[in-house]
Amino acid sequence: MKSAVLFIATMVLAGSLAHAQTPTAADAIVGIWETGSGKARVKIDKVADKYFGRIVWLREPNNEEGKPKVDKNNPDEKLRTMPLLGYRMLKDFVYTEEKTWENGTIYDPENGSTYSCEIKMTDENTLDVRGFIGVSLFGRTDVWKRIQLKKKA
Amino acid sequence: MRALFVMASLLVATVAHAQEADTTIVEDFSQYAEAELAGGTKRYATSKVLDQSPNKLISLGYDVQGAYDMEFASIDGAPAQTIRNNNNQGLRLAANVPVVSTTKVLINLAAIYWEHRYSFDKSQPIQNPLAQSLDSYGLRTMGINFTLFKPLNEKQFFLIQGQTDLNGNYSLANIQSLEYTRLSVFGIYGWKKHDRLMYGFGAARTFRVGELNYIPLIYYYYTAPSRKWGVESVFPARLNVRRNFNPRTLAFFGYELEGNTYRINNRGNEFAAGRNDLELRRSELRIRLTFERSIKDFLWFSVQAGLRYNWRFNLDQGNFFRGFGGDQPYLMENTIGNPLYINFSINLVSP
Repeated sequence: MKSAVLFIATMVLAGSLAHAQTPTAADAIVGIWETGSGKARVKIDKVADKYFGRIVWLREPNNEEGKPKVDKNNPDEKLRTMPLLGYRMLKDFVYTEEKTWENGTIYDPENGSTYSCEIKMTDENTLDVRGFIGVSLFGRTDVWKRIQLKKKA
Repeated sequence: MRALFVMASLLVATVAHAQEADTTIVEDFSQYAEAELAGGTKRYATSKVLDQSPNKLISLGYDVQGAYDMEFASIDGAPAQTIRNNNNQGLRLAANVPVVSTTKVLINLAAIYWEHRYSFDKSQPIQNPLAQSLDSYGLRTMGINFTLFKPLNEKQFFLIQGQTDLNGNYSLANIQSLEYTRLSVFGIYGWKKHDRLMYGFGAARTFRVGELNYIPLIYYYYTAPSRKWGVESVFPARLNVRRNFNPRTLAFFGYELEGNTYRINNRGNEFAAGRNDLELRRSELRIRLTFERSIKDFLWFSVQAGLRYNWRFNLDQGNFFRGFGGDQPYLMENTIGNPLYINFSINLVSP
């Protein structure tokens, strides 16, 4: 009995480590990305089987009063005091086919709108992030570039 | 027993790992400041300034002008005649699709359909052939245009727009020959100084003054540091001062010069025989106040009201280049009044 339990525990541990250490094609999107305007950087992480992105850097992090920017355009009044830094603007992306993540949404803090979104990786350092309304035809593609953090001396 | 505890701990740790990112993350964001683009790629200027009015993907509009007098000159023995036009009305439809959208190049394709119907006072017989034609058929425009935005780097860009229009008194059942398609083009070389300012200089081949002309252009898009005011202008074609109440409510005050040359076919023999090559040179200045607001998400309504000031409403025999200062006489020089107008539209706006 003891050995069976140990075996299961070992398998769980091995599975967990393998999961953590073997990036799949789907995980190629994980990393830090700069938006097309260069005004923000977004960190994309995997949570369970989906991909989410948080704003981790803003070129202008403070508002005109010198205070950290908040999500003042959010249609939900209760969320208008949420800081933009750390805000999860990409949600629920699923890897559906080669180099493509779909079924997610993107939030634009500039106008408080949430759009359907699909992401295509055109090369290892470039994402085509297409926000659209209803059908992909009615949309706009923003090209994001992968960011490398500089090592601190 | 210890083994069971180990297994339970591992399971808890695995579940906790999966849920961690769903909780509030305390993070040192300063670590993301010192960074560079991977692979040595370049940054490029984007095509808009902050808080610029949204692009309209689909627009369904209706345009109405109030009553005014039209003084038609004599032609082919028909006397000069002043006629009261009770109103002008017409649909204004547009669709605009971004077909290429990358950091290095943007290409939009658009199509428009405008109609311009006349409603003359019939208390006196309409004798003037041009008035008869306008009253019976009105004017139509169908056009296709493309816009190319090409940034060279983070600061400099080219903007090129081309438009082909089919203008005239044709019907949808019997559209006039594509031979009479009119081509307008403009090109701008510009600079994006920062997120709130773009400007540039260029030239246009345009029919906005009612007939073909070549004019210099100044491109100027600006948003004030307060982000409450701005300017959107391709001068002299249009200029608007923008007021941003919030990202979903905008107002503008400014003008636009609208015009084109319209093929007037002798559809019902209103004109004398042989008048088969007539071009109406129509141009007007619209000085107006515009209010735009999101109704729900991406659906916006727009209402625009102002003065429609007549610039030109003359008839030529044939399509030729007159240019500024050209002294070729018009076949008819007409004078028309300057009514108030209003324009409503429902728009699906771009992300």
